[in-house]
Amino acid sequence: MKFLVQIILTVIVCFALQYFFPWWTMAIGAFVIAYFIGNSSFPSFIAGLLAIAGLWLGMAFYIDQLTTSILTEKVSKLLSLNAFILTATVGGLVGGFAALTGALLKAKPKRRYY
Amino acid sequence: MKLLKVGISALITVSLVYALNRGWNFGKTIPPLGKFLDPFHGFWKNAEHGDPQNNTLSIPGLQAEVTVVYDSLLIPHIFAQNDDDLYLAQGYITAQHRLWQMEFQVLSAAGRISEILGPVALDYDRGQRRLGMTFGADHNLESLKKNPDIYRAAVNYATGVNTYIQQLDYEDLPLEYKLLDYKPEVWSPYKLALVQMNFSLTLNSGELDLQFTNALKLFGKETVDLLYPDHEQQESPIVNTPGAWKKFKLVTLDTIPLAVPDELIQIKLSPVKPRGIGSNNWVVNGTKTATGSPILSNDPHLSLGVPSLWFVNHLHSPNVNTMGGTLAGTPGVILGFNDSIAWGCTNAQRDLVDWYRIQFKDSTKNEYLSDGKWKPARKVIEQITIKGENPFYDTVVYTHHGPVRYDETFRAENEHAQFAYRWLSHDEAEPLTAFYLLNRARNYEDYMKALDHHFSPAQNFVFAAVKGDIAMRVQGKYPVRRKDEGKFILDGTKTSTEWKAFIPFDQNVGIKNPASGYIFSTNQYPVDATYPYHIQTGDFYETFRNVRIDQILGQRTNLTPQDMMAMQNDNYNVQASQSLPLMLSLIDRSKLSPAENIAFDTLSSWNFFNTINSTGAIYYETWWRDFYANLWDEMAESKTLIPTPSEFTTIQLMKQKPELAFYDIQRTIVKETLRDIANLTFKSSVKKVEDWKLEHPETPFQWTYFKDTYIEHLLRLEPFSFHARNGGNSGILNASSHRWGPSWRMIVSLEKTGVKAWGVYPGGQSGNPGSKFYGNMMEAWTNAKPYPLKFTDDQESLAPSTYFTIQLKPAAK
Repeated sequence: MKFLVQIILTVIVCFALQYFFPWWTMAIGAFVIAYFIGNSSFPSFIAGLLAIAGLWLGMAFYIDQLTTSILTEKVSKLLSLNAFILTATVGGLVGGFAALTGALLKAKPKRRYY
Repeated sequence: MKLLKVGISALITVSLVYALNRGWNFGKTIPPLGKFLDPFHGFWKNAEHGDPQNNTLSIPGLQAEVTVVYDSLLIPHIFAQNDDDLYLAQGYITAQHRLWQMEFQVLSAAGRISEILGPVALDYDRGQRRLGMTFGADHNLESLKKNPDIYRAAVNYATGVNTYIQQLDYEDLPLEYKLLDYKPEVWSPYKLALVQMNFSLTLNSGELDLQFTNALKLFGKETVDLLYPDHEQQESPIVNTPGAWKKFKLVTLDTIPLAVPDELIQIKLSPVKPRGIGSNNWVVNGTKTATGSPILSNDPHLSLGVPSLWFVNHLHSPNVNTMGGTLAGTPGVILGFNDSIAWGCTNAQRDLVDWYRIQFKDSTKNEYLSDGKWKPARKVIEQITIKGENPFYDTVVYTHHGPVRYDETFRAENEHAQFAYRWLSHDEAEPLTAFYLLNRARNYEDYMKALDHHFSPAQNFVFAAVKGDIAMRVQGKYPVRRKDEGKFILDGTKTSTEWKAFIPFDQNVGIKNPASGYIFSTNQYPVDATYPYHIQTGDFYETFRNVRIDQILGQRTNLTPQDMMAMQNDNYNVQASQSLPLMLSLIDRSKLSPAENIAFDTLSSWNFFNTINSTGAIYYETWWRDFYANLWDEMAESKTLIPTPSEFTTIQLMKQKPELAFYDIQRTIVKETLRDIANLTFKSSVKKVEDWKLEHPETPFQWTYFKDTYIEHLLRLEPFSFHARNGGNSGILNASSHRWGPSWRMIVSLEKTGVKAWGVYPGGQSGNPGSKFYGNMMEAWTNAKPYPLKFTDDQESLAPSTYFTIQLKPAAK
């Protein structure tokens, strides 16, 4: 549940941030959300990754549809890699590591009773 | 422990952001991937959708409201209430569509490409600096400032460009900025001077002095005169009026014996432009047309690139109403028309470059010898900024001739090569003035007055007026020369070899209303042999297209604009018609393979048209290339720089000198004859064609695919480039070769009921690869079907063809 909440909140907050500010502000968004939601590290990483990869992919897909792919194929050829996959990977990695950092900062050290 | 984990994770995140926020270069340039791929601001934002909508923009600096009506080709029709606003709006609108290209050509001119592409461009940049491009631009700016009206237009244009730049956020930047990760700079009139220098470099720097010097040393004067005659005896000069030049009060030079150099020069020269490029323009008067009004046609042939060199614009104010091809970065119309006249250009190349061997006092190069005295040299330290590396400093030594381009630090193989470069385009040239005046010209007299301000790059200006006059003027600043003067390296220690005088403008070649009813230029030899000044091209004059135009225009009457379009797309190969019958007659048919027999039959029945689906053209062009290379293998084998003779002279020699020593192929022991090379190269060329077929099993065996006209993005990015399937080749009216071709096809019919015009260029009005207007004209250009241009005097009549309208309003102060 908290996993889904983290994804949805990250998407919303980062959409708003990116709408006005440079691309890397989504890292701050993913980090802050991860901190407040407080998932453990690995799920948090995945949530951040999926959220930003999804957000970027969704936006890219929307633009691609709207513009009848006028640029997508050209840029894919230019970069010798599929532009969608690349977009999702780049966004997702940054989102994932930002979320991981947030989760790690929040994590309480485990008490060890022995 | 926790802190360590957080630290590592944070470090990874920050490093990722850093690494993805900047570009990299691993042999291949990688854009800043995070920034570039971000769908909110990155390249995705450059993909355009839907149709542009009517809009109102607030523009600081405007005095009154300006209306920009776009037609369906995205051609802006700018209606301003005064000239200041007109040029400001032109700058703004041009930048909107072509900003990246505008700036890129300036960086290229100034030798600053390393700033954006890194060390790979350093050698090119050094070459540009040593060419004195900024030295010339400085002079041109000075000259621009002396004419207040023109300078004002340049300043207003720059204001428009800068207003546009200031409004840009990262997401609005043209794609190429995002790809290479840099930002546009402020525009200025100085950049206009650099654009001018770029054109001078393309058009007015052709010369082969160093190469001719080597030829002289190796072959002797007699052979040089045979292989590289100044005047190739072709049929149709631009102006052919023997005896008409007698009234000239000639500028003559003291006769000083010419010192002919005796040396070999080993330099890795900057690339020389390919031969056979050039342009067509012609005009016919009412006696030759169906309407009884003159028709003017122009297609300048240049390197084919996208974004295209040309941007079509219609400029209207109470003082001017003109339309045509404009150059991104330059106010006004360059090749176009107004409601009274039309004009067009082809290049009027002559030898405008000389090289002087400089004798420095010592290795410090602080002083050099001139007429027995030591003169101080000027040193310019060029700082070349290199992306990702420390700047490179290059010291360029200037003499009174100009910069020393090649020395021991740059491309010369020995330290003796201290050659100063005297180039006419370094001089003040009143950039823009002639075009500014042509935009406003009403008649022949205005045209002549306008051209008195054109110095460089020298052009053949064709002219037609609604009133019925037609004319041509070969206009530029030309030094008075004696035969062979400046064809070879000159002795820089004597001022007696320097340019002493220039041909007075009223003694330049020109003609008005000839009895024939037509005039044309194709970069051919400009004038009949009775013209009193010695003419020397610098490299080679055109020799084939002029024959074809003369042939067509001489015969035809009742011409229509559609006939002119067909002429621009004419694929008749004059060179083939002059050379192939002789070449075929040399072939020994008894020794041909089946494939060679097919080739022979194809060539025998070929009609000399390089049409799209021709196969004869494939065999001929391949054979000619092999034949030519083997005939002149002496030049390639000489291990030094020697020009190969022109195609025209080659054919003349084949016909007139069947025993020339050059027919021998150097790398073989046997002594070959003309017949031997013809047979050898026929076989080798058929093999090449057969190999091509094997390598392209899916491709139709047609000339257009074999030739493959390629319109390349300025950064050589294949996905942003185009292949065109058209006919033609260099030396043909439809001059579309692999990389060069008609950059702007324009036809103007000067009818009394209103000027009608057609135009098209390869590409589209938008410079954005993400726009549907990036390549939308490509098909019409390929088929040589220019669009009717919506030229009018009143905004209202544009209503039916209006695509959308932009209102530019003065910003509240």
